[in-house]
Amino acid sequence: MNLPHVMIRASAGSGKTYALTNRFVALLASGAAPERIVALTFTRKAAGEFFDEILRKLAKAARDGREAAKLAREIERPELREADFLRLLRGVTAAMPRLRLGTLDAFFARIARAFPLELGLGGEFEVLQAHAAHVERQRVLGRMFAQADGGLGEAQREFIEAFKRATFGTEEKRLAARLDRFLDEHHEAFLAAPDGACWGHPARIWPEGSEWLAPSARKISDVIASLRRELAEAAGNEKQTARWEALFAAVAEWRPGAPLPRAITYMLEHALEVWPQLGREIAEVIVERKKMALTPAAGADLAVLVRHVFAGVLTAHLESTRGIHAVLRGYEGFYDEAVRRAGRLTFGDVQRLLQPDAGGPQLGGGRMMIDFRLDGQFDHWLLDEFQDTSFGQWSVLENLIDEAVQDPAGARSFFCVGDVKQAIYAWRDGDRHLFDAVLDRYNAPAPGTVVEEHLVKSWRSAPPIISMVNAVFGAGEVISTLFPGAASADWNRDWRTHESAHPALTGHAAWLQADDEEGRFALTARLIGEIAPLRRGLGCAVLTQSNKAATALADFLRRTAGIPAIAESDLHVATDNPLGMALLALARAAAHPGDSLARRHVEMTPLRGMLEAEGWGTPGQITRGFLGQIHDSGFERTMEYWLRRAETALPPEDRFSRERGRQFVAAAALFDATGSREVAEFVAFMERHAVRETEVAGVVRVMTIHRAKGLGFDVVVLPDLEGQSIDQARDGLAVTRDAGRAVQWVLDAPPKFFREHDATLRGQLRSAEASACHEALCLLYVAMTRAKRAMYLITGAPGTSTSRNYPRLLAATLGADSVTANSGAIAAAGGAALGDAHWHAEIAETAESGAGEEQRPTGDERLLRRAPRRRVLRPSGDYTRTVDAFAVFSADRSGAVEFGREVHALLAEVEWGREFNAARWRARGFAPAVVEEAVACLLAPQLARVWAAVPGAEVWRERAFEVVLDGAWVTGVFDRVLVERTGDGRVRRATVYDFKTERFPSGADAARHVAQHAGQLQLYRRAVAALTGAQLQAVAAEIVFTGLRQISSITPS
Amino acid sequence: MSSRLRRHFLPWDRPWLPQAAAWLAGDWAGGEALDLSDVLAIVPTRQAARRLREALAGYAAERGSAVFPPQTLTPDMLLRGAEDDPAVASQLEALLAWTDVLQRIDLEEVAAVFPVAPPQRDFAWAWRLAGAFDRLQIQLNEAGLSIADVVTRLGADFPERDRWLGLAQLESLQVSALAARGRREPHAARRAFALRPTLPPGVRRVALLAAPDPMALALRVLETWAESVSVDVVVFAPPEEAENFDEVGRPIASHWGARPIVLAEFKRRVRLCADPAEEAARVVAIARGYREPDGLVAVGAAEADALPWFESEFSRADLPAYNPEGRTRRGGRVHTLLAALAALARDPAIAAVAAVARCPDFLAHLELRDGVSPAAFLTQLDEACGRHLPADLGALQAALGPSAPELAGGVALAEELRGALTAEPFPRCATAALGRLFQGRRFDLAVSSDAVMAAAAEAWRDTLHECASLAARFPQIAAADWWEIALQRFGETRETGEKPAGALDLQGWLELLWEDAPHLVVAGLNDGAVPEAIVGDAFLPESLREQLGLKTNAVRFARDAYLLHAIAASRVAGGRLDVLFAKVSAAGDPLRPSRLLLQCVDAELPERIDFLFRAPAPVQAQPPWTRAWQLRPPRPEPIASVAVTGLRSWLECPFRFWLRHGLKMESVEPEKRELDARDFGTLCHAALEAMAIEAALRDCTDEVQLREFLIGELTSVARRRFGSTLTLPVIVQLESARQRLARVAAVQARERAAGWVVEQVEWPFSLEIGGLTVRGKIDRIDRHEGTGARRVLDYKTSDTAKAPAATHLRTARAEEAALPGWRRVLGGKKEQVWTDLQLPVYLRAVMGAFPGEPAPACGYVNLPKAAGETSLAAWPELTGELLDAAQACTDGVAAAVRAGEFWPPAEIKADADDFAALFHRGAAESIAWGAEP
Ligand code: SF4
Repeated sequence: MNLPHVMIRASAGSGKTYALTNRFVALLASGAAPERIVALTFTRKAAGEFFDEILRKLAKAARDGREAAKLAREIERPELREADFLRLLRGVTAAMPRLRLGTLDAFFARIARAFPLELGLGGEFEVLQAHAAHVERQRVLGRMFAQADGGLGEAQREFIEAFKRATFGTEEKRLAARLDRFLDEHHEAFLAAPDGACWGHPARIWPEGSEWLAPSARKISDVIASLRRELAEAAGNEKQTARWEALFAAVAEWRPGAPLPRAITYMLEHALEVWPQLGREIAEVIVERKKMALTPAAGADLAVLVRHVFAGVLTAHLESTRGIHAVLRGYEGFYDEAVRRAGRLTFGDVQRLLQPDAGGPQLGGGRMMIDFRLDGQFDHWLLDEFQDTSFGQWSVLENLIDEAVQDPAGARSFFCVGDVKQAIYAWRDGDRHLFDAVLDRYNAPAPGTVVEEHLVKSWRSAPPIISMVNAVFGAGEVISTLFPGAASADWNRDWRTHESAHPALTGHAAWLQADDEEGRFALTARLIGEIAPLRRGLGCAVLTQSNKAATALADFLRRTAGIPAIAESDLHVATDNPLGMALLALARAAAHPGDSLARRHVEMTPLRGMLEAEGWGTPGQITRGFLGQIHDSGFERTMEYWLRRAETALPPEDRFSRERGRQFVAAAALFDATGSREVAEFVAFMERHAVRETEVAGVVRVMTIHRAKGLGFDVVVLPDLEGQSIDQARDGLAVTRDAGRAVQWVLDAPPKFFREHDATLRGQLRSAEASACHEALCLLYVAMTRAKRAMYLITGAPGTSTSRNYPRLLAATLGADSVTANSGAIAAAGGAALGDAHWHAEIAETAESGAGEEQRPTGDERLLRRAPRRRVLRPSGDYTRTVDAFAVFSADRSGAVEFGREVHALLAEVEWGREFNAARWRARGFAPAVVEEAVACLLAPQLARVWAAVPGAEVWRERAFEVVLDGAWVTGVFDRVLVERTGDGRVRRATVYDFKTERFPSGADAARHVAQHAGQLQLYRRAVAALTGAQLQAVAAEIVFTGLRQISSITPS
Repeated sequence: MSSRLRRHFLPWDRPWLPQAAAWLAGDWAGGEALDLSDVLAIVPTRQAARRLREALAGYAAERGSAVFPPQTLTPDMLLRGAEDDPAVASQLEALLAWTDVLQRIDLEEVAAVFPVAPPQRDFAWAWRLAGAFDRLQIQLNEAGLSIADVVTRLGADFPERDRWLGLAQLESLQVSALAARGRREPHAARRAFALRPTLPPGVRRVALLAAPDPMALALRVLETWAESVSVDVVVFAPPEEAENFDEVGRPIASHWGARPIVLAEFKRRVRLCADPAEEAARVVAIARGYREPDGLVAVGAAEADALPWFESEFSRADLPAYNPEGRTRRGGRVHTLLAALAALARDPAIAAVAAVARCPDFLAHLELRDGVSPAAFLTQLDEACGRHLPADLGALQAALGPSAPELAGGVALAEELRGALTAEPFPRCATAALGRLFQGRRFDLAVSSDAVMAAAAEAWRDTLHECASLAARFPQIAAADWWEIALQRFGETRETGEKPAGALDLQGWLELLWEDAPHLVVAGLNDGAVPEAIVGDAFLPESLREQLGLKTNAVRFARDAYLLHAIAASRVAGGRLDVLFAKVSAAGDPLRPSRLLLQCVDAELPERIDFLFRAPAPVQAQPPWTRAWQLRPPRPEPIASVAVTGLRSWLECPFRFWLRHGLKMESVEPEKRELDARDFGTLCHAALEAMAIEAALRDCTDEVQLREFLIGELTSVARRRFGSTLTLPVIVQLESARQRLARVAAVQARERAAGWVVEQVEWPFSLEIGGLTVRGKIDRIDRHEGTGARRVLDYKTSDTAKAPAATHLRTARAEEAALPGWRRVLGGKKEQVWTDLQLPVYLRAVMGAFPGEPAPACGYVNLPKAAGETSLAAWPELTGELLDAAQACTDGVAAAVRAGEFWPPAEIKADADDFAALFHRGAAESIAWGAEP
C-alpha cells in the first residue's frame, strides 16, 4: 500500500510528534522495512524521544484492543488488530541498529564515514567538538603567526595586507583578538561563499553602477572654497555659519574609515532631505532649525561634498569587506591544511563535503553506492522541524528525496512537518522559505504531488491561552500596520486561527504590567508564590530572551522568594564557585610560579594549610609536586586528590560545593581523554566547560524561549519581553542571495544612514529587517504557545515609546487601555486578562511526597558463597630496588634485560652437562656475549654440579607453576629444578637453581644479592615441596650468578 | 565441519570456572602435582587465562598440591606460530609497506579506489590509510581471505567490483613492497600457517574452553591439529542444549536470535539510568553494600571504554578496584615527555619549549644537575616570553638577559636536548636526548610512580627497538614521521600494574562468562555495545560480510544472547545479576537498551517496551548555590609609596588596589602572542621620548623628518626588545604604532611651529602627600617660546581618543552620595566623582618644582587607532576650584592608603575585572575582610 507525500504545517501544540509517529507506524503497516525509513530531526534529544514514542505507541496498541482500534483508525488501516501491532513492534525492535532515525548531522556523518575516499578525505575522520575546535584554532593561529627562518612567507605577507584592509582606516593594535572576533563572526559566511568575487565588489553589488561611487573631478578643497563663497550670498546667521565651517573643517580632516564626526553627519542628513533639488533649483536646506536657500551652484557644491563622504564611506566598506575575505581566506588556507586535511572535521565541514553547491557529489543516482555501503535503500523520508532546515542541508538531501517523490512505482514517500511560525533558528541558517520552495518544486510540475495539511488544533493549551494567541497573532491588520512589508505579509498569509482541543479546560491568560525590571521580577515571584505550582504538582516555567536573564531571574526567585528555581542555561561548573576557582588557581600557580595572582589566591583559601601539610609550602614545591602529580596520574586524579582535601574545609551542609567538586573532577576526566597534560590548556578547557542541566523534578524551570521550543508547561511566565524594535536588522555583514540561495554579494555593512540612501543597500536592509521581524514574531509565538493552563505576560507599560517592540505589539492587539488585571489574589495593572483568574484554586495542593531513593538490597543471603580470590605473589618479581633510569630507556640491544632473557633461554636448552652446541646458538643469531656467558657457565668447574647428570633424576627447565601458599596465589617459573626420587617414585630430594644475570663488580656484593633474593628462593622451595609432595627440608635452593660463575646456597629458614 | 573435535558440556546452573578447572584436572585426585603442562588451553581472553590458572591453583591447593599449568592461548594467538618464521614481517612493517605503496603509486591507476584526489599525499595521510587497509586485511583474514580472494568470490556483477579490483591491486603491491625487502606479508603468512599449523612443543592435548566466538581461521588450525592430538571443545551449557551449538561450540544464530532470555526479577534487576555517571554511582552503591566485596560481587562493563570511568568512581568511593585491561600510556608521564621532545625536535617553537619546560623530568634534571630551581626557571621563562614574545627557542636565547640566570640554565638544557634530538638519526637521537635527561637518575622500583615509569621506559625501549630494526628497510621515512609512529605505538601500549589486594575486578563483556562471583553487575547494556552492531562500513557493509562468510551482526547477536543467558543462568541457584543501561551517553547521545533485554516471549514485549523505554526518573534538583568559603587575604598593612597610577586604582576599588599594590598580585598570560596595551604604550613612549631628547629635532617643524626619526626609533627599540624575527601579530602591531607615530609627527610639527618647545622629557618626580610618597614620570613638559607658559603632556595610546576631563571625572551614581566629600565634585548640574588624579598630581609636582611661576596647562596627546583623531586634548578647566578639589581628593586618597583603608571593594563587571577569579556573586561577599588569614 502506498502512502501519499505529505507536508504538514503544524501549529504549536498541535501534535507534530503525534503525526510523525503515526506516519512511521503507517509506513510500517504498509509493509515498509523499518531500516528503509529515514527520519531526521535536529536535536539528539528529539531523535531519542521520537523513537521511544514510536515504540510506546506500538506497545500500547499491541496490548490493548481499544488502543489498537484507535491507532488503526488514525493511520487509516481499520483492519489492524493488537497482533498486527505486536508484529510491527517486533519488526522495529529487531531492526534497532539498522534504523536511520537521528539528527541530520549524524546522518550526514554516517554517509561521509562510508565514503571517505570518494569525498576526498584521507580515510577516517574525527568530528571535532567545541574544545577540540578551539584548540585547533589556536594551533592554526600559532602556526600562521610564526615566522619561518627565511622571514615572512608570501601567504603571511598577504595576510598582513589583508588585515590592514579589513580594518581599513584604523590601526588595530591587537591582531590576535581582532582575528578571533573575525573568525567568530564571519567564518560561516566565508564558508558559505568562499569565492572572493562575492566580497565587496561594486560591480556585483551595483551591476548598473552606483550613483554614490561616481568620482568627481574637482578637488575637495576647491569645492569647499567655492561653497564658502556661494554661502556668503545666502547670508546665514552666526550659528549657521559655524555649522558650515565645522563641516568644512571636518570634511577636510576626515579620512575614510574613521568614524564620521557629528559635524558631517548633521549636514549630510539635512542635505539629503532636499537631495532632488540640490544643484537643480533653489534648495531650502535646514540648518540650525532655519531654512537656508541654496543656489543651484551652492547646491551642486554641497552635493559634491555629500558624494565625497558617501563614496569614502562605501569605498572604505568595500575595501574592508575584501580585506575580511582575504583574512578569512588566509586563515582558511592554513586551517584546511592543518586540520581538515588531517581528518578533523566539524559537523559543518561534513555537511559541506556533501553539499553539491560546495563541490560535493550528487547523492543518489548511483555514483556513490549509498544503498550498498549503508546496507539498504532509503525509501521513505520523514523530516521534522522542517522550518529549521537550511538550504545547505536540503541540497544534500534533495536528490535522494527527488528519487523518492518521483519513484515511478510510487512505493517510496516523503513526509515533512514543521511550522514557519516557529522559525527561530534563522541565525543558524534555518530557512523557513524552504517550505514553499519544496512544495513548489514538486507541485508546480505536477499539482497535488505533495499533499499539504494544516494542523491548528492545540492539544496543549487551554482556551484562554489560545484566545490570546489568536488575538495577538491573528490581528493581521495591526501587524501589517506596525510592521509593513514582507514579514507581516508572510505572517498573515500563513496564519490560521487556532483552536483548543480541550474546550472545557479552565485556564488563564493575562498580560500584566510592572514599572521596571525589578518590578517584573518581583511580580513573577508573587505570581508563582500565589499559584504554588509545585505544591499542586504543576510544571512551571519562566521564559526569557537571553541566558543571562534566565540566570539572573532564577537567582532572584531563589534569593528573594525562596522559590526553588533552576536556570537551565549552561552551567560553568568549574568556574561559577570558589572551590573550582581555587583548584584552577592551584594548577596555574604550579605551572606558572610567577603568577602571583593565582598563588596568592590559593593562599587565601583553606588549600593553603593543606599544601603546607603536604610539604608544599613554597612555589617551588608546588611546581614540583603538582606537575609531577599531573604527569604521573593525570588531571582527574590529581584534582580528585586535592578536592578531597579541600572538602574537609567545607561546611558539612554545603551540598552544592561538593556537587560542583564532583562535576569538576568529571570535567577533568574529559580533559584527560584529550591526552594533553598542559595546564594552560586544561585551565582554558575548564573555563569553557559547561554542563547542561538535565531535567530536574520539583523546580521552577527558568530558561530561554529558544530552549523551551518543543516543550509544554502547565504554567508559563514571560517577564522578559522588553527590547529593541523587533524588526531591527543585525549589524555585521550584509549578505544577499539569489533565488537558488547562492550568495550574490557580501558587504561589511555601512551605518544604517548610508544604507537607507542607496537603493540596492536599502533593498538588502529591508529584507534583513523583514527576516528579523519575522523571526521576532516567531519567538513571541513560541513563547506564548508553551503554556497548558496559565500564561502570564509581564512587561513594562507600553507608554509612548515609538519602539516597535513586544509590549507595543501586545498593546496594539490586546488593547492599549490599562486595566487592572487580577490574577488570583494578585491585582496588578495590566492590559488584558482572559479566562479564570482562579483557575488553580480547583487543583488541590498535595503533600510533599517523600518518595525517597529506592532501597538497594544489599548482602543477599544466597550470595554468601564467596568466589575464591587470592593475593598474587610473583616470586620472579624484580627485587632490585633501584635501577639506572637511563639504562632502562636505552634502546641498546645488549641491555641488561635482553641479555638476561637470552642467557636464560640458552641455559634452559641444556638438560645435562655438555649437551649444547655453541656454534649453532651463534648461528641462530644470539649475540656473542650471550653465548659466551652461557658457555662459560656450562663449562665452569665451580658450577659443574648444576649440570651434572644424576641418573634417574628428572630436570625441570623453565617450568611454569601455580601454587597456593599461605592463602596467596603464587605463580612463577623455575629456571632449573633437579628432582631425585626414591625407588617407589617418591621424591627424595630436590634442588632449585635460579640464574641471576645481573652484574656487580665484586664477589663481596654477592652476599648482599643473595640476601636480597633469599625470599624468592624460599618461595621456590615451598612451591617445589607442594608440587612434589616432598618434605620442605628435602628441597634445596641455590642461586647461580652467571657473570661471576658463582653459586650460593640458600640456607633453609 | 569434521567431527574430530569432541564436544563436552558443562552445565550453566553453577559458575563455569570451577567446573572448567575440575574438568581439566579430570581424574587427578591429589598427591603429586597436577601436571597439565602438555595441555594447550584455548581461552577467549587473556584475563580468562589468568582466571583459569588461579582456579587451577586453588583446585590443587584444596587437594594439598600444586599445578604445572597448561599453556594458554587466545584463538588469535594460535596463529602466532606463523611469526616463528623470521622472514614474516611484523604488523608495523606491513603498515609501513602500505605507506610506501600509497605514497608511490599513481593514483590514476586505482581510480576506482580513489575517485577523488586525496587532500595531500604526505606520510600522515598514507599512515592513516595504511591503518584502514590493515584493519580490512585483519577482518578478511578472520575468515582466511585476502583482498584478492574477495574479488574471486564475488560475481562479475558485484556492484563495487572495480573498487575491489583496485584494492586487490594495492594489496599485491603491498605484498611486493614487502617481498622486495625480503619479507613475507603477515596476513598471508597466517593463512599459510593455518593450512599447515605446527603444534607448540610438548602439547599432547588441546582444549577450547568456553570460547563462543573464535575466529574462523583459528578453528581451521584446530581442525588440523585434531588429526594428531585430541582436541576437546568445552561448552558452558547443559548437555541437553547440545543442538543449539555447532561442532566448535558456537551458539547457533537462528536459535539464539529467537530464544527468550530468562532474567530473574526483571523489573528489579534491570535498571534504567539517566547517564553513565548514574550507572557508575549505582554500581559503586551496590559494591558498597558488601563489607568485603571482592569475590562476592564483580562488575562488568559492556563497553570497555567505560571502564576508566568506573575506576574513577570506585577510587572516589575509596573502594579498591582493578581494571585488568589497564590504561594506555597515551598521556602518561613518559608519553607526555616524549611527545614534547618530538615536538621540540620537529620545530623549536616557543610552545614546544614551554611544554618541555613543564615536564617534571626536565625540571628534575635542571635541579639535580644545574641546581636550578624549577620555580625560578619557570617564572623567568614566563616573564621573558611575555616581554620578548619570542617565536622560538632561538629568539628566546637571543633575548636572554643577565638578570635571569635560571632561565639561561633552562634554555641551555633545552638547546642541548634540541641538539641531541637533531644531531643523529631517529631513533638514536631519541635515546641520546633521554640519556641527557636521565643521566644519573635512578628509578626506585618500590615507589609506584617510579615503577610505572620504569615499565613505560621498557615499553618505549621496545618500541624504539622495533623502529630501529625497520628504519633500514624504510629509509624514505623522515625522522619526524618516525617520531609519530613510535609515539603512537608507544601510546597504545598499556600499563596494567598489579592488582591491589581486595580490589574488585572491572571487566569487559567478553570476560564475564569466566567470572565466578555470585553477584554480577553489568553496566552499559545498551544497544550497539551489546550486542555490538556494525552499520555502514567504508569497505565491508553487512551484506558483503554475509556473502564472504565474515562475522555478521546476527552472529554477534547470537553470541551475546548466549553470553547473557549463560551468565544469568549460572546465578539462578545462588547469586544475582544486575543489569544497568543508560538513556544518554556521556557525550549526550541518546542510547537505547540492548535488544537482548527484549528477547522475551511476544506476550511480554509490550510491557518490556514500556518498562525499558520510559523516561528516566527526573534527577533531584541541584542544591542551591552556596559559598564554599570566603577568601582570607592577609591583614592589610599601610603602604608607604605608590606610583601615580595607583591613585586611580584606589579610586576605582580600594580592595583591588590592596591586591595589586599591597599584595602585588599579577597574573601571567601563558600564551601571550602579541603586545598588550601596556607594551604597546611603552614602545610608542620610547620613540617619543627619544624624539624629545634629540637636540637636533628640538626646533624641527618638518613633519617628514620627525616622522622618519620616530619610525626609525620605534624600529630599533622593537629590534632590541623582540629581536629580528617578529611574529605576525607583532609586525602588525608595529605597523599600527608606526602609523600612529607618523600622525603624531604632524601634530608635533604643528605644535613646534606654534611655538611650543620641549623642556623636559620623562621628568621624574616624587611627592610626599600626607606621608605617602607618590612617584611618577611626566612624559613631557613643554614651554612656549613666546609666552613662557608651560604645559604638561601625557601620551595616550588607547584605541579611542580621550578627553582628560572624561577620564578623571564621571557622573556620580546614586549610591555614591555616601562617599566622603573629597571624592566628589559639584560641577555644573550633576555631581561628579573623581576617577583619576594623574594630571592634577602632575600639576602639583610641576608647580612644586617651579615655585612662583604660573600654573601650567595640561592635557593628553592622543594616539588612537582612527586616522584623523590624533590630536592634543587639553584640559583648560583644570584650574581654580576644580584643581583644588583634585588636590583635596589626592590628599584624601593618600591618607586612606596610609591608613590602610582598602575596604569595601567596588562591584565591577567580571570581564573588566583583573581579579574576577577571586569573586563570586559580589566582591564584598567573597572576602572575609580583616579575618585572621
Ligand atoms: S629583560 Fe627579558 S630576559 Fe631579562 S629579565 Fe627581563 S624579561 Fe627576563
